Amino acid sequence: MKSVVTTVIASADAAGRFPSTSDLEAVQGSIQRAAARLEAAEKLAGNLDNVAREAYDACIKKYPYLNNAGEANSTDTFKAKCMRDIKHYMRLVQYCLVVGGTGPLDEWGIAGQREVYRALGLPTAPYVEALSFARNRGCAPRDMSAQALTEYNALLDYAINSLS
Amino acid sequence: MDKRFFNLFNLTEDQAIALLDTPQAQISENDSRYIAASHLVNFPTERSIQALIRAVQQTDAMLENRIVRRKSVETLGRLQAKQALSVISWCLSDEDCYTVENAVWAIGEIGTQDPLILEMITRLLDKPGQIYRVIIHTLAKLNYQPALERIRRFTNHSDPPTASAAITAVCRLTHDTTQMVQVVAMLQHPNVLARRLSIQDLIDAQYDDAIPDIARCPVSLVFRLRGIRLLAEAGFANGVLTFTKIQAYLEQTLRDHPQDLRLVHSYDRLPELPALIRQLYETDFGRCYLATKTILEHYADAAPAALFAAYAEEASCDYGAHFHVVKLFGWLRHLPAYDLLLEALHNRQPQFQKSRAAAAIALGELGDSRAIPELQSCLDSNIWDLQYAALMALEKLGDRSDYANLMAADNWFVREKVQAKLAVIN
Repeated sequence: MKSVVTTVIASADAAGRFPSTSDLEAVQGSIQRAAARLEAAEKLAGNLDNVAREAYDACIKKYPYLNNAGEANSTDTFKAKCMRDIKHYMRLVQYCLVVGGTGPLDEWGIAGQREVYRALGLPTAPYVEALSFARNRGCAPRDMSAQALTEYNALLDYAINSLS
Repeated sequence: MDKRFFNLFNLTEDQAIALLDTPQAQISENDSRYIAASHLVNFPTERSIQALIRAVQQTDAMLENRIVRRKSVETLGRLQAKQALSVISWCLSDEDCYTVENAVWAIGEIGTQDPLILEMITRLLDKPGQIYRVIIHTLAKLNYQPALERIRRFTNHSDPPTASAAITAVCRLTHDTTQMVQVVAMLQHPNVLARRLSIQDLIDAQYDDAIPDIARCPVSLVFRLRGIRLLAEAGFANGVLTFTKIQAYLEQTLRDHPQDLRLVHSYDRLPELPALIRQLYETDFGRCYLATKTILEHYADAAPAALFAAYAEEASCDYGAHFHVVKLFGWLRHLPAYDLLLEALHNRQPQFQKSRAAAAIALGELGDSRAIPELQSCLDSNIWDLQYAALMALEKLGDRSDYANLMAADNWFVREKVQAKLAVIN
């Protein structure tokens, strides 16, 4: 699983060298941010269902044209698709907070997933919008500390960027 | 191309163009340019294409704009807008690897034999941090022979799906299929995306020898059916396949019993039933099939009550778990689930589409002849896998109608199935 630590060691090993000063600084930075990441991971794990539900409910409320009835235009389509996928991506975001790198999102959520969405004509817009809402909704210190929120938002940005 | 979801946002063309043209800083909280860029796929007009081109030319690097640019490139590809080729080619040198990926893909959709563009795409193989699969796919699709040796270097790439794409591209460019067994082996990769993507590569290579292996690959049947259908259609058109050769694999896939799959996961000890029920919500269907198999083998008596509870609580609106609950009630031959299965059979919400064919198969397993007219009413559907699954279920329920009217069905498999039935009757 890719993290700052495994990336540094893998590059050093590939070149047959010890980690450089800048490598060690990167590891040090990651360790310093670990407490904030784990705080965010804990808060997210304890509230995953609510975060996901709130994201898609708010998204539907935000876009009145999503409320029209009918088959492919129905809100049910949007809701069910969005809820399932957003929970999946939130879980991967939580793993990334624990790992201290984007490995879980890269390996299980992004690599190849874009190709699958394109090939099957599946919409990315609903969860890009819902994840954007989740990113904008987080509030410090109400939900978590400011440092923890920074770590959480950075990973949400990463997921939004990679899925769109 | 499945277009069920294209019209999700119900905007008019004028509204979508106006949104896309609004500067990002002036977008109201209630609107999204990203949705507008997605939605214009429904309007193959010069006005929409020009609006999308203008969006690609907006190069502000902020996240909200970057994702709009990328989506606009993708939509231009879907619209096969030749007039956008130069602006899309300009994106090939973008710093953002996903913009580059979408640009390469869009060029593949539009199609070109311009050697300058093709060489620009090939040179991306030497650039670190790119999504090489789509680059390799596009070069093979456009049959760019000068890229062959540069693609060949990727056949041993450390990322299995990249290696798989490269082996496939070499096969397509040289017509030498000897290495395709490596792609077939990828159908058993522990990573679900690697398994799904290898099916795409087998389709691209028209490697129909892999149909029996695809039928046993532990991914959602949507991917397996797509693979078998596209390979069979190509093989039939080329005169190398007949329906008889693939019928058993097709029906095995539509039936979709976990005992017919080669599962890649295993448990080190038997999980409790609630943990197995949770597994039905996984996005990796390989894990769901393992849970289903384990439930059938170890918890057949306790499972129905737990499945009804899961359905009431959450599975009725999770399109993955919904599918597996429907399947399980069929394998358990649990008659009290009849009404639930009937509802699933007639559920027209698009995200539950695959549960409809699953419900048909499950009703066949239940053995209750009340289901016969319900299944017959599905034969008029335009969803071919539902039609076919309904025919299989009717067969299982002993219905002896000939369904000769389905000889005019849109789908080749359905027509062949009916023809085979008629041959037996006559």
